[in-house]
Amino acid sequence: MRGGLGRAVTHLRLVVLLLALFLAAPARAQDQPLVAALSTQEVRISTGFVGEAIMVFGSTDQPIGPGGDEILVVARGPTRPLVVRRKVKALLFWINGPSARFDDVPGFYAIAGTRPAWQLLPEALRQENGLGLDALPLTSTGSRSPAFRAALLDLKKSSGLWLEGVAPVEIRGGRLFHIAVPLPATVPTGDYKVEVLLVRSRRIAAREEMSFRVERVGTADRIADVAENHAFFYGLACIMLAALAGWLGSVLFRRD
Amino acid sequence: MQVYLPIAGISVDAMLLVGIGFLVGWLSGLFGVGGGFLLTPALILIGIPAPVAVASGANQTLGASVSGLMAQWRRGNVDPKMGGVLTAGGFVGSLAGVQLFALLQRVGQIDLAVSVFYVVVLGTVGGLMVMESVRAILRRRGAVRRRLHEHFWMHGLPLKMRFRKSRLYISVIPPLLAGFFIGVLSAIMGVGGGFMLVPVMIYLLGMPTAVVIGTSLFQVVFVTANVTLLQAVQVGSVDVVLTLLLLLGGVIGAQFGAKMGTKLRGEETRALLGALVLAVALSLLWGLVRRPDAFFVIGPAL
Repeated sequence: MRGGLGRAVTHLRLVVLLLALFLAAPARAQDQPLVAALSTQEVRISTGFVGEAIMVFGSTDQPIGPGGDEILVVARGPTRPLVVRRKVKALLFWINGPSARFDDVPGFYAIAGTRPAWQLLPEALRQENGLGLDALPLTSTGSRSPAFRAALLDLKKSSGLWLEGVAPVEIRGGRLFHIAVPLPATVPTGDYKVEVLLVRSRRIAAREEMSFRVERVGTADRIADVAENHAFFYGLACIMLAALAGWLGSVLFRRD
Repeated sequence: MQVYLPIAGISVDAMLLVGIGFLVGWLSGLFGVGGGFLLTPALILIGIPAPVAVASGANQTLGASVSGLMAQWRRGNVDPKMGGVLTAGGFVGSLAGVQLFALLQRVGQIDLAVSVFYVVVLGTVGGLMVMESVRAILRRRGAVRRRLHEHFWMHGLPLKMRFRKSRLYISVIPPLLAGFFIGVLSAIMGVGGGFMLVPVMIYLLGMPTAVVIGTSLFQVVFVTANVTLLQAVQVGSVDVVLTLLLLLGGVIGAQFGAKMGTKLRGEETRALLGALVLAVALSLLWGLVRRPDAFFVIGPAL
């Protein structure tokens, strides 16, 4: 129920924003070929968080579509180092064997376009700008096998944290575009960057950079914060709470 | 109803957690054990990361054991001196266990280690329990009473101490070692260890059965508290939301289980518990032996 309502409110907000943009577009179009915005600057992870979609939308000064302008939207989450391990069979058991360490792995990455990026841009330009999962600058130490990189891509894709071309950027009225970027419940906290690129005759004609934050709020945030910064007191609190809950439960539900 | 677990960093169905808590609580009430050995594997099965499952499992076992300890204490069934010695050993053991846990996590073998510990410990204990109780059922008619206090090598050890409540005058080394060993298991497996401590107290230390349950609960409560604290500080994997949801189901389930447990006979109960323990061990063993679905795993670089 609440999820549905939230989505409805987001949609309503989107319609209002699109309308405002549409009305403002002719006036602003003269000086800017590309205008874009996000539905929100802040994604809040509360105790009931099940994921959220963030809307990226905007307009261009010339018609979008085949033969005309094209749009690419890229969202990148905060990076952190990861280790990919391969399971190997030792005697009877499957254990973690060789590993490769990847520095600066984006915790979230999504790319969408009016058409796939490889159709829109020359290969060199696409690689240079990191547009597409195969163009992510992932350098590894440890095992050199390309299988580790492929496995990282597979696992991230199946967890919904790395998305490529899941849905195309939609166009309304020739000049308005929008796309919903789905953030799964496991989305990492931190600062996210969203880039909107205007592609005109296989070149990047304009780009708009925006950002949003994913942060824990309320109880979830307070718990994580205390656990991280005051680990000793958090541990004590866990002991007290568990003991209290156990005792209280046995008093309330006694059946003899 | 989905709930976000702030430490695990994932969203899980709250009713599923309460349900698991209830089932484990029911079984633990039925058999009179803490149930940590069922809880941790169940949590790993539904996708909770192993470190969080172990640490929160220890935390849950603490909560589930507190009321039992209080009831036993009121009835005077706790030997605080023996409990203290066991706990002292348990503190050192859990400290060592958490160091080992952190080390295994750094080298990326923690999931394997947790599974192997479970298979070895549960396989041994479950096998012994089934054998023992089957033998007991078979010879029920011509029962030979076992002498409670027999003298063997253990009684030649130095550092003797008098345990008035247990009516024992024995060396502190065996209970210290037993406490240490259970402490290590508690830290790595997220269990209280009552299912191993009880036989040790009866057969090795020769304690009277009346004080065994209460004294083992004493050790379990303090050692799981220590594990909770150490895991929170060193590994940072205790998820209090997870713990409390499990406890909510657990305390209710335990009451139902305990009521039903009074209707079962001792040997049958133990044979059933042994079979359950063996089943958990075998399913974890299968998980280690079978071809994995995914040949690669990702972990944070530590």
